[in-house]
Amino acid sequence: MLRQLIDNFLLSKTNVTADKLSDPMLKMADLGIDSLEIVEMLFEVEDQYGIHVEDVMKFQQMTLNEVVAFMEQMIRDKNGGELPQLTQVDKAVG
Amino acid sequence: MVTPLGLNRDDSFAAAVMGKSAITAAPAAILKLLPSALAASVSKDFELGLSRAATGLDRATQFALSATQEALQDAGFEATEDQRSRIGVYVGIGNGGASTVDALYTRFFELLQLSATENRDPTVMHPLAVPRMMANAGAAAVTIQHQLRGQSYTYSIACASSSVALGEAYRALRHGYIDTAIVIGTEAILTPGSYVAWNALRVMAKKRDDAPEASCRPFDAQRTGFVLGEGAAALVLEAEGVTPTCSRAPYAELCGYGSTTDGMHITLPSAQGQTQAMNIALADAGLPLDAIGYINAHGTATTAGDATETESIKAVFGQHAKKLAISSTKAVHGHLIGAGGALEFAFSVMALATGSIPPTAHLDNPDPACDLDFVPLIARHSAPLQAVMSNSFAFGGTNASLIARKVDA
Repeated sequence: MLRQLIDNFLLSKTNVTADKLSDPMLKMADLGIDSLEIVEMLFEVEDQYGIHVEDVMKFQQMTLNEVVAFMEQMIRDKNGGELPQLTQVDKAVG
Repeated sequence: MVTPLGLNRDDSFAAAVMGKSAITAAPAAILKLLPSALAASVSKDFELGLSRAATGLDRATQFALSATQEALQDAGFEATEDQRSRIGVYVGIGNGGASTVDALYTRFFELLQLSATENRDPTVMHPLAVPRMMANAGAAAVTIQHQLRGQSYTYSIACASSSVALGEAYRALRHGYIDTAIVIGTEAILTPGSYVAWNALRVMAKKRDDAPEASCRPFDAQRTGFVLGEGAAALVLEAEGVTPTCSRAPYAELCGYGSTTDGMHITLPSAQGQTQAMNIALADAGLPLDAIGYINAHGTATTAGDATETESIKAVFGQHAKKLAISSTKAVHGHLIGAGGALEFAFSVMALATGSIPPTAHLDNPDPACDLDFVPLIARHSAPLQAVMSNSFAFGGTNASLIARKVDA
């Protein structure tokens, strides 16, 4: 579900193509998305799960799977090991 | 143009000429707070036509992009890379990013309340909130979309914002800083937060229960103020003697600009400041008083504003004042604040180009203090206009007056 949220964002709001997204070797920087787009992508997750990522620069050099794993860990840490069901989509500033 | 009267220039101007009012009940979120609130809103159809890239931008930016697209298309705009570095973008906006700011605070305080009970984090904000709400968001979006690389400035001078943007673009062209200017007035403030603030100022028209659409009555004895509007207008200006980027022949020549500040009161108008702005514009244009045939007045339908403007026009034009056709189109499109100047100057140019002078709608009982020809109710056609003036007088005391003349005049 987390991965889907990120894929949906990247495919609808950036120029990333589906074949690039499915290549597990590519780092975020290789996907052709810029640092501002990464921050936007993180917001989709932050907004849904109520987390806040401070250091975003490291994501450029991570693969998408690593980013998803990192965020899932953050969410589980915040929720006593659980990955909560998504809350209602809430985008006053979207 | 994107205006309450229509989603393009021709529909908007046609409605203004017909005196067809776009004033209706305010958006639902405002009505919940103020049940008799009025507004002049842009049609919901506007949102249906938004591109994927424009979704999520501030509403004022969306308006600016749309108006610019139409203006460039109408102008037959095409520029080389060298020309693009000589194209300036001048934007006027009163309250930049109003919709984004309103939404941001709504979200922030909702999350703040939920933070205690539902573990929500109020510091999680959309990362693009700042670039969306900054006052120059519209200018930035236009320059990026059309790859324009000359100077780009945003003027925020309340109701005179885009008149000043036009005037300053005209000076930059004349002084050789740029060869082409795209001038945009845009405003989107019909949000609950903005609206209640305007309401507190007590300058907005009371709703006429028998005819809400006729609630704004400039120069009428029963006038009670203006109705807030929204929208954008964009114009393309080009210097003389440069390689044109526009294939279309110009509608008119912007030939006079005057601007002054009252230095007197935050909201009250001053006849002295207005008179001086018009005089400077006339001197700049080098035209005799009787060359001006039509004035699109600031005409906000406030008690003080309309009487003062009448007095100022008389002081400037003397005997010729009685012969001028003067109208306030705010009666039908509302007060577009920062976008008003560009819209009303564009309407003045349309009047010059077509000979059709839009009326002052709902002017049934002229105020004796407003005893000039305010073109009540009915448009005039086939008017032999040589030059026109458009006035904008802002809160804060800035006055701006613009003059356009026929290119062959």
